[in-house]
Amino acid sequence: MIRYISKRLLALLPMLFGITILAFFIMKAAPGDPVGMFMDPSVSLQDMERIRSNLGFDKPIITQYFIWLKNCLAGNFGYSLVTGKPALEAIIERLPATLLLSLSSLVLILLITFPLGILCGYKKDSVVDDGITVFSFLGLSMPSFWLGLMLILLFSFQLDLFPTSGFMDPLMYGESFFRQAGNVAYHMFLPLLTIMIGGIAGLTRYNRFGIIKILGQDYITAARARGLSEWRILFKHAFKNILLPIITLLGLDLPGLISGSYIIEYIFSWPGMGQLAIQSVFQRDYPILMTAIVLSSVLIILGTLISDMCYALVDPRITKKGGNS
Amino acid sequence: MKTNFSGILSLLLLLALFGCAPKSISDNQVLTLRLGAEPSMLNPVLSTDSPSSSVNGYVFSGLLKVNPDLELVPDLAESYTISDNGLVYLFKLKRNVTWHDGKPFTAYDVKFTFDTILDPETNTVRADDYKIDGKPIEFRVLDDYTIQIRMHKPFAPFLNGLTMGIIPQHIYEVVDVNTAKENQTPIGTGPFKFKQWETSQFVLLEANENYFDVQPKIKKIILKIIPDNNTALIAFEKEEIQSSGIPGKDFERISNNDAFKTFRYYDLAYTYLGLNNRHAFFSNKNVRKALAMSIDKRSIVDGILMGYGLPAHLPTSPEMWTYPKRPFFYKYNPKEAINILEAEGYTFDQETKTLKKGNTPITFKIITNKGNKDRELAATLIQKNMKEIGIDVSIQLMEWSSFIDIVNENADPKKFDAVILGWSLGIDPDSYSIWHSRNYPKGFNFIGYKNKDVDDYLMMGRSELDREERKIIYEEMYKLIAQDVPYIFLYYPESLVGLSKQIEGLSPAGPAGLLNPIENIYLSEK
Repeated sequence: MIRYISKRLLALLPMLFGITILAFFIMKAAPGDPVGMFMDPSVSLQDMERIRSNLGFDKPIITQYFIWLKNCLAGNFGYSLVTGKPALEAIIERLPATLLLSLSSLVLILLITFPLGILCGYKKDSVVDDGITVFSFLGLSMPSFWLGLMLILLFSFQLDLFPTSGFMDPLMYGESFFRQAGNVAYHMFLPLLTIMIGGIAGLTRYNRFGIIKILGQDYITAARARGLSEWRILFKHAFKNILLPIITLLGLDLPGLISGSYIIEYIFSWPGMGQLAIQSVFQRDYPILMTAIVLSSVLIILGTLISDMCYALVDPRITKKGGNS
Repeated sequence: MKTNFSGILSLLLLLALFGCAPKSISDNQVLTLRLGAEPSMLNPVLSTDSPSSSVNGYVFSGLLKVNPDLELVPDLAESYTISDNGLVYLFKLKRNVTWHDGKPFTAYDVKFTFDTILDPETNTVRADDYKIDGKPIEFRVLDDYTIQIRMHKPFAPFLNGLTMGIIPQHIYEVVDVNTAKENQTPIGTGPFKFKQWETSQFVLLEANENYFDVQPKIKKIILKIIPDNNTALIAFEKEEIQSSGIPGKDFERISNNDAFKTFRYYDLAYTYLGLNNRHAFFSNKNVRKALAMSIDKRSIVDGILMGYGLPAHLPTSPEMWTYPKRPFFYKYNPKEAINILEAEGYTFDQETKTLKKGNTPITFKIITNKGNKDRELAATLIQKNMKEIGIDVSIQLMEWSSFIDIVNENADPKKFDAVILGWSLGIDPDSYSIWHSRNYPKGFNFIGYKNKDVDDYLMMGRSELDREERKIIYEEMYKLIAQDVPYIFLYYPESLVGLSKQIEGLSPAGPAGLLNPIENIYLSEK
């Protein structure tokens, strides 16, 4: 197992190298650069040219790449071209808010969709199933920017239950931890709800489908024939099997946890990674983009590695070579 | 009976007095405003975005500042004199000024600020404001409170450059200004001290108790970062923020709400259809004139801006002191436009309703940036107008960087037909970078406009220091440009602003800002 992991980790390096080369050249191939953004008659071309050369944009792209790589290997990811902050710091300071929202929504979505999906799959084509199906299609078809605004209108404006946007009240800094946590939760309710409505809808469909497929398998029929209770069949035999595809899904979701959701963050003024990433794309903030790309590729690779390992834990067939259970 | 009557009378009198008296001041002097995006750097030397400028305006002071009438008045300067030949400026500085960290402010800070801007290593786009024909303006400290500024030729727009916020030498001389941590925790001399900045959440400022001018009445300013306009409007209506821009469609509703006051004024800005003057079709002045006559600017203003704007005819703003009493313009008249085009050798096919040169129908493409709804809609209205004179117009929306890349490409001729764009103007009428023929193909004269007289007026306007003389120069220049139609000027948008009823001490609505000067602002009881 350890040999397997270290082999996989070693393979990570050439992969990362390839990713950074590709990313760097694609990024530079996009028209414009951060200096060219100024469309302001008070800004002179001479100043723009000078800044370009200060930032090394006048060098050949290949040279720029190796300068970046050299700095990167020395642990220097560069400074944001917009804010002048160290790129890594600019990304890390966005993590808490992003993770708070993404982890809590993930946990809640899983907790809700498992029972719902199993219920739907088990009671396939019943009134309950149809009802939940209708709601999940509704949830899936509502775009989150619209849903978010509607929730703000309803819960914040009409009912006055929650604030429209933000992370924590500016004057709460310096209060006790619990009061702060309460205030953050209060601000988080609406964005969380918006994410969950879309997420629950999607994952419920997924789980329902998984259960239906598994319940049609021979071993379930065999278990039924042996006279096992439905409860036992469902939670002992079927449950573990629907975990498998979910693990793959979650493994691929790992970078999603830190990448945040631009639309949600934009509407609710949530200080997360999504806003930073999208702004960096539009502003051509190369150091931030490259750091984000390196970071998320590492996470994607680690995510698949972890989910592969979890697979082995859940499904003994995978470690036993040529297993025939 | 008599006593009763006088009792009622005095009560009425008291009531009347109460009604007239200024509203009582609220105990809670915390002003909550909105920033539309995260500021980049809280350092006036480096930042160019408007959220940063909003914050920097409260924290930093310049030698001069802009008053509500858009005039330059002394700020850190006590007084200044200009030599008769216009080459030497002598500034006496205020003596009671301290930085927010308690250190005294001196002429060395002023020199340091401008030296930093002129340092080639500094990534500021402002350096050229302090150079004339590429030669830096010289800042010389005569004593702690006197600074002399010398230039080799008179340059009228220069005084505007002295509104630049002065940064502290004792902080910045030991760090790299481009990446300094201090750009996130600014120390200035302004009416408000920086207190806290939480990324993408808010910036918190506190009144500067040692401010050298009138003590601000507001104790704290919270600038909440709310990127989405819809969210901001709801936050404003819920009174989570006390000021907000209002979309045209909501302006009447908000105006009718007693909790708010609303204001409208012209910005120092205009939106235009820029025609590539080196393009075969647009290179003919009479053709451009005919196009200008076939665009119904009034319907653009009424239909897209909901009437909150004015049809534009000149490259300036109605709020500018150079705006003429009677601007020159070509009246909307599509029939006459077709006559002009036919006189220029084009034929208007009555059957197919197409304009042709020989057998080729005339078409062109308008490009503009994605995300600016007003411009997108204006493009479709223009498309309709052009259809009426037989021209088939296509529209392409582009991401900002890609768009700017095409417009600013260093090539002659450039690869675009027409663009919809807008210019924001400074308070000085100098518009050398937009109109002078030297700024093509590299520069903001990307449409390739060339008129020798306009070039001359631009140079005269820069070296003439007398305001009345300058007004005449620019009026003449505007007329020439309007006659040449290098752009088809479309509209002057109005700024629509809503404020909480509680905010008092406002200046008249205008581009200098309702809350300017911030020292006058206070909150009344609800």
